[in-house]
Amino acid sequence: MTIIDKKVLDKILYHVEKPGRYVGGEHNMVLKAWDSCSTRVALAFPDLYDLGQANLGLAILYEIINDRPDILAERVFSPWHDMEDAMRERKIPLFALESKRPIIDFDILGITLPYESIYTNVLNLLDLAGMPLHASERDESYPLVIAGGQACFNPEPMTDFIDAFVIGDGEDVIFEIIETYQLWKKQNLDKLSLLLALAKIAGVYVPSLYDVTYFEDGTIKSVDPKNEGVPKQVHKRIAPQLPPPIKKQIVPNIQIVHDRIAVEIMRGCTRGCRFCHAGIVNRPVRQRKVADVLKAIDSGVKATGYEELSLLSLSSSDHTEILDMSKAVYDQNKGRRLSVSLPSLRIESFSVDLMDELKDLKPGGGFTIAPEAATDRMRAIINKPLDDKILFETVETIFNHGWLNLKMYYMIGLPDERMEDLEAILETAQKVLQIGRRLRGNRVRVHVSIGTFIPKPHTPFQWAISEDPVSIQEKIDFLRDGMRQAKIKLSYNRPDSTLLEAWLSRGDRRLGKVIEKAWQLGAKFDAWDEGFIKEYWYAAFQECGVDPHFYTNRERELDETFPWDHISAGVFKDFLLEDYQMSLRGETRQDCRDGCYACGILDCFAQVRPSNEDVYWGCP
Amino acid sequence: MNPITPYRVRIRFAKLEGLRFIGHLDLQRLFERALNRTGLPLRYSQGFSPKIRLNLASALPLGFVSSAEVLDFWLNCPVELEEIKKSLQESLPKDIQIIDIEEIDNKRPSLQASLRSSVYRITIPISYAQEELIRGFNGLISKETIPFIRRKKTVDIKPMIESYQIEITPEASVLTLQMSSTAENNGRPDELLSFIKVDPADVIIERIQLIFEE
Ligand code: SF4
Repeated sequence: MTIIDKKVLDKILYHVEKPGRYVGGEHNMVLKAWDSCSTRVALAFPDLYDLGQANLGLAILYEIINDRPDILAERVFSPWHDMEDAMRERKIPLFALESKRPIIDFDILGITLPYESIYTNVLNLLDLAGMPLHASERDESYPLVIAGGQACFNPEPMTDFIDAFVIGDGEDVIFEIIETYQLWKKQNLDKLSLLLALAKIAGVYVPSLYDVTYFEDGTIKSVDPKNEGVPKQVHKRIAPQLPPPIKKQIVPNIQIVHDRIAVEIMRGCTRGCRFCHAGIVNRPVRQRKVADVLKAIDSGVKATGYEELSLLSLSSSDHTEILDMSKAVYDQNKGRRLSVSLPSLRIESFSVDLMDELKDLKPGGGFTIAPEAATDRMRAIINKPLDDKILFETVETIFNHGWLNLKMYYMIGLPDERMEDLEAILETAQKVLQIGRRLRGNRVRVHVSIGTFIPKPHTPFQWAISEDPVSIQEKIDFLRDGMRQAKIKLSYNRPDSTLLEAWLSRGDRRLGKVIEKAWQLGAKFDAWDEGFIKEYWYAAFQECGVDPHFYTNRERELDETFPWDHISAGVFKDFLLEDYQMSLRGETRQDCRDGCYACGILDCFAQVRPSNEDVYWGCP
Repeated sequence: MNPITPYRVRIRFAKLEGLRFIGHLDLQRLFERALNRTGLPLRYSQGFSPKIRLNLASALPLGFVSSAEVLDFWLNCPVELEEIKKSLQESLPKDIQIIDIEEIDNKRPSLQASLRSSVYRITIPISYAQEELIRGFNGLISKETIPFIRRKKTVDIKPMIESYQIEITPEASVLTLQMSSTAENNGRPDELLSFIKVDPADVIIERIQLIFEE
């Protein structure tokens, strides 16, 4: 096929909402001559441009691939409903933003799967591209479809549709995949040979090469490789060095979310909060040196013209040089118009000091803290200890240092949650508001944001039951009434909208047909509040004869084989189990930097470590 | 706060096809960032959250192209005009082309305040029968009023049309329209198209001139 006819495209763009989503042409976009490259990769984020363009992982892959002379990477996002209708009506296949070439012309389609509610959009994307949904129905004439991202630590629900998954950091693996692909192409072999070769790459999971058997009760009996040379367990890849910061970040022409420079300062976290998926799957801790952060900021500002920057990590306070970093960032940028945000700070007065070091670079707006739970009992269950005295001291410092708005994150639906836990959230928020009013008067605003806990694979809570939406709604109602009376703003998600994530995140291969059915019935953009229509999903479950409660409403047996057990995040299942049992007993575990628990990750990066001595690793 | 006299710079620029689907606010942001990348001594607005001081003469509707847009911005000190032009052009996407640059007296009124009219060239493909077009347009223009519903309010387009001309070539029908471009009376050439049964998506509308009050 050839490039999409510009006349036809322009005609439909004239009538759709925000046509700037579909045209590319941004500053720092890379458009390479198609014929100058032997391998072409389409990088897809299966949601709107407005969301996907901000994805840091995607931006890194885009840059490192395009840095190689013989390969090119282009971008593609999901079209919004109006654009999709227009494309289908005029039979315009899904195309890449840079060259406006159909996706089907590319060699590899790499899809980002950051969360589960994006799955139906993947199916829609494949369909719009004119490709069969099922990997088994796509022969070697179609692009190879690979997927990566945090949701891939349990790839099973999507195994029908994806040829190969990348588990863990993708920065090095992507080139091994491309090289394997190039070699295969030269040899003119069939698709199975490609899949077998890919399965030999560390960190690559080729689902079609495994057989899954089940017990009568529906749980997994075993997952076994079908072919010689296919690993029984796929270990995640660990990039020994954080990838170099993006040199030429694309500057969108339309407004998107997180429209700013992003600099990753640290990957991984050692805190061990039991609900946290990212904390486990991103181990071990690797941090960027202050000097490198400064370089990244300087080149980022010059390359983009942005006046906003965010220093990203799971827990900024834990960067060993964070105070120096704050000071140095200020010294470097004073006089520049730049606002620097430093999210994910621990609840302690030191965090306020860190922000103060940024002086006039710190962003306007509120201060955010995430206590997650309000009673000591619950804090022990989730392993996020926090002394109330320190919480209130910190809050005082925050108000005393000039902030008037405070946002607090809490979770509900946690294991063994009781009424007293919810009451404590309310009381804490009220007390915080009182402190604020006492110190700064009536201008003080407190905003509580409630997230619903969803048990995630590879975490100590992977055995736990997920609370049903009806009782979650009751809890929300209780908090809403209380907060309203206390004049505290409360935000929360519709309990229904978290259902999908709960089903899919601990799902197995049998959910593939449910996803497909739901999509056929009309499900897409499920991550959007208005997008998720639970009726489609219930109908799909019913038609496929699959019980959704199997995935949510049961506490797993301690010796159950999970659908994702053959995917290793580097952490032993025994370690997670021990931690889960500690949680049941209300016992905490300290930050493992203060004493290693031998979680298993050490073995995983033993090989890459000696050659990367200059990296700060959080592990002994 | 800002004791130095600001240096006011005016550029005329073309907005080409690749950016025709980028709207006015987005274009403004695009200029802010492009100016920022140049490292020029930019002047900021005063107040709580200072922004780069810039001023676009007129919002170009989404889907239009232009060879005649005008932008003012301010620097904290004089810089060689050619140098400004060069560094700004380098930092802009290729679909914005700077045509010329000049220094402007600070006392001159703002662009918006002095803008009077715009001239548009509408290129209609020959898939639309040319004779019918001429007949339709002449019929329309001879009417006393041309009522059009704009955001639930009826406006009369007729008095906004200051002059017009139709040219027929073998390749296309070209309609040139001068319309008022003031805050109260802002003529939109695409609004006329529905009366002559032309889908604005089929045509290229180019702004070819901005006319200011002197
Ligand atoms: S190896 Fe030890 S220090 Fe490293 S993440 Fe595991 S428990 Fe923590």
